[in-house]
Amino acid sequence: MGRIYRRICFLRFDGQSGEASRLEFSELKEAVDAAKSASESTDEAESILRRLLEEEGERVSEAVAIAEVLIPMLADRIPAAIPARGPASSPLGVSHRPRIGPDPSERSIADFIDDMLVQERQPEHPISR
Amino acid sequence: MTPATLEKPSAAPLAPSLSSPMSRPPIPRQTSLLVGLDLGTNKSCVLAGPAGNSDITVSKVVPSVVGYVKDGIVDGIITGNAKILFGEEALSQMLHVELATPLAEGVIAHPESARDFMQHIRQLADPTGRAEIRAVVGVPANAGEPAREAIRRSASGIFSHILLIPEPFLAALGYRDDGRVKQAGYVDPVVNSLFIDIGGGTSDLCLVQGYFPTRDDQISIPFAGDAIDELIFDGLNRTYPNNGLSLITIRDIKEAHAYVGPSRKPLEVKVVIGGKSRTLDLGDVIGNACNTLIDKIYPALTTLIASASSDSVVTLLQNIIITGGGSQIRGIDTVLQKKLSDDGFETPKVRLAGQDFQRYVAIGALKAARAARDNQWQVLLG
Repeated sequence: MGRIYRRICFLRFDGQSGEASRLEFSELKEAVDAAKSASESTDEAESILRRLLEEEGERVSEAVAIAEVLIPMLADRIPAAIPARGPASSPLGVSHRPRIGPDPSERSIADFIDDMLVQERQPEHPISR
Repeated sequence: MTPATLEKPSAAPLAPSLSSPMSRPPIPRQTSLLVGLDLGTNKSCVLAGPAGNSDITVSKVVPSVVGYVKDGIVDGIITGNAKILFGEEALSQMLHVELATPLAEGVIAHPESARDFMQHIRQLADPTGRAEIRAVVGVPANAGEPAREAIRRSASGIFSHILLIPEPFLAALGYRDDGRVKQAGYVDPVVNSLFIDIGGGTSDLCLVQGYFPTRDDQISIPFAGDAIDELIFDGLNRTYPNNGLSLITIRDIKEAHAYVGPSRKPLEVKVVIGGKSRTLDLGDVIGNACNTLIDKIYPALTTLIASASSDSVVTLLQNIIITGGGSQIRGIDTVLQKKLSDDGFETPKVRLAGQDFQRYVAIGALKAARAARDNQWQVLLG
């Protein structure tokens, strides 16, 4: 039931009121009716359902608010974050990222840890936000 | 009555008097221990050893589970009438405890049980309870700040210092044979390799090429052992409805029979349903579930290969290493290698980490703990 209601909320946010209404009066109604008939007390069932739907509605609102903030930030990173199903998009399908840093065989573990700590302090690193 | 605490004066003329500082026993120096910890969704591995030498005094793989003894359990049922059990002991008493799994998808999901579990880890590393402990803890690749903070909070007051390092890099560090690093012909995995660490909650892929992997060098997929268990569970219920088998039993079946590649039929598995022994053909159910993992991992693998520098990629392709519990899936190395070869990649070589697959992250973590400089550690307050 929570899943159906979340779907309805997202459809409304997305401007698809028709589809949202269709779901509300078909699948959601069926799920609510089934829950009420399975419950011994109608009042209690309604109270629980009301609370459930309020919580789901709040979750959707929060998710939309977060998405509105995150999507612009993620837009730049999406090509790197989503695994490709084949070689990279360049015509030759290769990347020419050079290896950086001094001779790796001369580096100590502590040097690698220094690299890690420097990265963590970069503004675009997930943990520095 | 003579107080038992009074000392008799010494008879030796040169013995120091009680009032001299020299007569007071030396304050024992607090032992310093280093811990390498792989905090896994299903299994954790802890290695510990004293600071300043290379001894390993503790090496344990512990199921990541805490059991809180239920109310009303009769005295003597639980060893020592303990209130909290951990790991195998908790699982063996699952009828009498509420089981809690502190982690989900590689990160802490239940802070209270995580803290109890961390305390247990500390006890394993230091049964005396007196040592100062510095711990390097593996985190999933690209773990965000909330996940890291959760680990710090769970360890606060338990370890004195902590350092969080991505697991795939630790796996490469652990896998590295330090004795062969300068040997001709030895390819140092920290210099040029691609690690695929398939755990319970996440499958982490990481390019390790002589510098600390950046975010772009790591891909973490929230699909791993637990997700395979769920798929097998669903497939089993479709093929054999009302079988009543638990996820724990499913996991045992998976660990015994998991494979990838073409369907292996019949794959007969003996189970007990309703007290009676039954033989089920699970060839397709297990194969379909495990092959889903290949579908998830392969695109990430080719993405990372494509991002490697052109002068290193041929050697890199010879050093693709699978570790973690997923390395035990039969055929996973040959299937991935064949896919790469069929897609035109130059002489790929995918291999399994070997029998120490459960320990490489923790081994790498302990190596990092030994090598870390003082100013690289985070002090844990509390």
